[in-house]
Amino acid sequence: MNFPDILASLIHDMKNSLGLVINTIDDLGQEMQDQENPKLGTLQHEARRLNSNLITLLSLYKIDKGQLTPNIEEIDVEQFLYEISVDNQTTANNMGITVSYESEEGLVGYFDEWLMRSVINSLIGNGLRYTSSQILIHAEFVDDYLVLSIDDDGNGFPQSMIEAQSTEKQKKPQQGETQLGHYFASLVAHMHSNGEREGFIKLANNQRLGGGNFSIWLP
Amino acid sequence: MFFKPGLLENRLYLVVDDFGDMRSMIKNMLMACGVREIRLARNGSEAIELMEEERFDVVLCDYNLGAGRDGQQVLEEAKYRHLMGLGSVFVMVTAENTRDMVMGAVEYEPDSYLTKPFNKDFLKTRLEKLIAKKHNLLAIEEAVEKRNYAKAVTILDEKIAAKPANCNELRKIKGDILVNSGKLTEARTLFEEVLAIRELPWARLGLGRCSYLAEDYQQATDEFQRLKSQNPNYTPAYDWLAKCHKRVNQLTEAEEILKQAVSISPKAVPRQQMLGEVALANHHQEIAESAFTKAVHHGKHSVYKHPSNYANLARVTADNHDGAAGLQVLKQIKKDFKKDPKADFYQASAECQIHEAMGNDDLAQASLNKAAELQKSFDQIEDSDCAIELAKTYKKFGMEEESLELLKGAILNNHTDEQLMDEIKMTISSMDMDEQALGTIDTIREEVSALNRKGVELAKNGQLEEAAKLLKETSTRMPANRTVNLNIALVLLMSMEREGPSPAIIDEIKGYLARVAKADPDNNTLQKLYARLKTMLSDYV
Repeated sequence: MNFPDILASLIHDMKNSLGLVINTIDDLGQEMQDQENPKLGTLQHEARRLNSNLITLLSLYKIDKGQLTPNIEEIDVEQFLYEISVDNQTTANNMGITVSYESEEGLVGYFDEWLMRSVINSLIGNGLRYTSSQILIHAEFVDDYLVLSIDDDGNGFPQSMIEAQSTEKQKKPQQGETQLGHYFASLVAHMHSNGEREGFIKLANNQRLGGGNFSIWLP
Repeated sequence: MFFKPGLLENRLYLVVDDFGDMRSMIKNMLMACGVREIRLARNGSEAIELMEEERFDVVLCDYNLGAGRDGQQVLEEAKYRHLMGLGSVFVMVTAENTRDMVMGAVEYEPDSYLTKPFNKDFLKTRLEKLIAKKHNLLAIEEAVEKRNYAKAVTILDEKIAAKPANCNELRKIKGDILVNSGKLTEARTLFEEVLAIRELPWARLGLGRCSYLAEDYQQATDEFQRLKSQNPNYTPAYDWLAKCHKRVNQLTEAEEILKQAVSISPKAVPRQQMLGEVALANHHQEIAESAFTKAVHHGKHSVYKHPSNYANLARVTADNHDGAAGLQVLKQIKKDFKKDPKADFYQASAECQIHEAMGNDDLAQASLNKAAELQKSFDQIEDSDCAIELAKTYKKFGMEEESLELLKGAILNNHTDEQLMDEIKMTISSMDMDEQALGTIDTIREEVSALNRKGVELAKNGQLEEAAKLLKETSTRMPANRTVNLNIALVLLMSMEREGPSPAIIDEIKGYLARVAKADPDNNTLQKLYARLKTMLSDYV
């Protein structure tokens, strides 16, 4: 067994423990019956972030080994966003942040549900750190692409990051967890293709909520 | 906002997980959602026992259940044995690393996969969605269960016409029903319409299946090849591709594809079994041993458990190592199959071959007698695999004539069964037998077809008595042959339509139809003849 394989199997084990930790924290929250508890919020948020980082790590490892190919399915986008917002609601509430979603009724997309969920959860995890009070997940069709975007009302992305995306730099992972999340999102977007067209990501500021806007374009 | 309240609460739930913490956690989540009736199971056996006692509306089952059955095998057994009612929901709970493994499921898929960790709110919305969806499809499932495919398609068309969000999901169900009920032209149109908008794996697979069933194996191969290169993890493409190669006798290619498929998804028993059989035909003993070992191992707790895998493993072990090791493998059959004549047969047949090779002539002869005795009592359609097995044993025993006679009987009784013809071809090549000695498979098949054609022609010319006589004579040589039985029923029906019903002939018709219904209840012609008989009887009442 080589080191990366050992690492992967250990990460997997850590994820299982973490799963129990997260569920226990959720239980605790229920028992305490507190509307908003910042400490609980931090605990939940950090545990979830750890979890989504581990998923990212495992997925990147699999992509690197060529073992991960997207399983494209027809997805009811409204239901998909609804599930994601529900999934993140408790944590966000405890941090005093609201997570909402917007999608046309009956919107249908084609993507790997599990991969995209991991990507969006990880982006929401980032968003929770940088937003001031809100996060919005939004879906619409633009130029025949399904655009899934995450907006916040924080200070937005640094100008350097927005500029960097036009160059090749953005495709290479850089220091810091945010960039790793973006790198993962970019890889996953590119794995989604339809005919000649491939998916991609886009960073912008001052869109729906005035803060950062991260969008994933899927053909 | 999507659903009616009360959708979750008044239902019966089963939670299956080998970890106590996880069981109680999911139970707590469900209780927090207002659910009151929850049963818990620690492993696959407990789950199956509980499902034998009660009909669950929702089963939440972890994929990893320690020793014994895994989640997929629980699902397979529950569906195969009809332990879950229509409209009930099966959710497979997985850790993310089992996802790819689970995706290679051959026949039965859960209604949803749920990746750990998840919280109460997520579970609630997911279950609400699934229950609502099942409810929406209930009338279709009921129609399919009653083999009323036309009704199922009518309901689907009504739903599709309303252009709902899950339109393609409905199309997928419709496509499956059309293919299974032999409406290939309509199925093809549907798949092509979907593919014109978007390349979806199920639609491409459907198109390939249409070509395969229409016996255009080149076209089918192209479709499956394309599907495979676009979706390297989509194992159904591999299975169908291997089937195509097998059909046109490209066994080397079939073996190669199956080797790739089992490396993606090693736990599917039918796939390992097929690989083992193809490898045997190709004289690749090592690969066959590995495949049958896995087929036996993973099949132990599975509905796909089959004694032929044990017999093949025993033989190949005896060949690759020594006879004693082979006999050791056979001891496992007795443990894993209780009071099963087919298992006894396979054990005796393999024992005979191994003893013969070891020079234990008396033991070999005793086993052979036992196997031959058992085989005579079996159904000649459903258990045609046993005829082939015994033919192999006869051949190894030097009884070439008996071997050929059995193969010939299997062909006569099942001459339209393409898959079985392939099995026989593979058997012939794995035994280095001379097909000429058999009189060639194709000649025998042509003879049966000609007799059937002649019978139908006589009937069409109004010579019903002559037709019935010819076909009944044919039937004594091949009592299980589907086409012959259906044609006799048809001719008898025609004579009753002409001369009025007679109780004796009605019984006779029912007898012939029952022979077909036993092995092939979905047969189109069979269904039509039943309907025609029913109409005729009601006209006279």
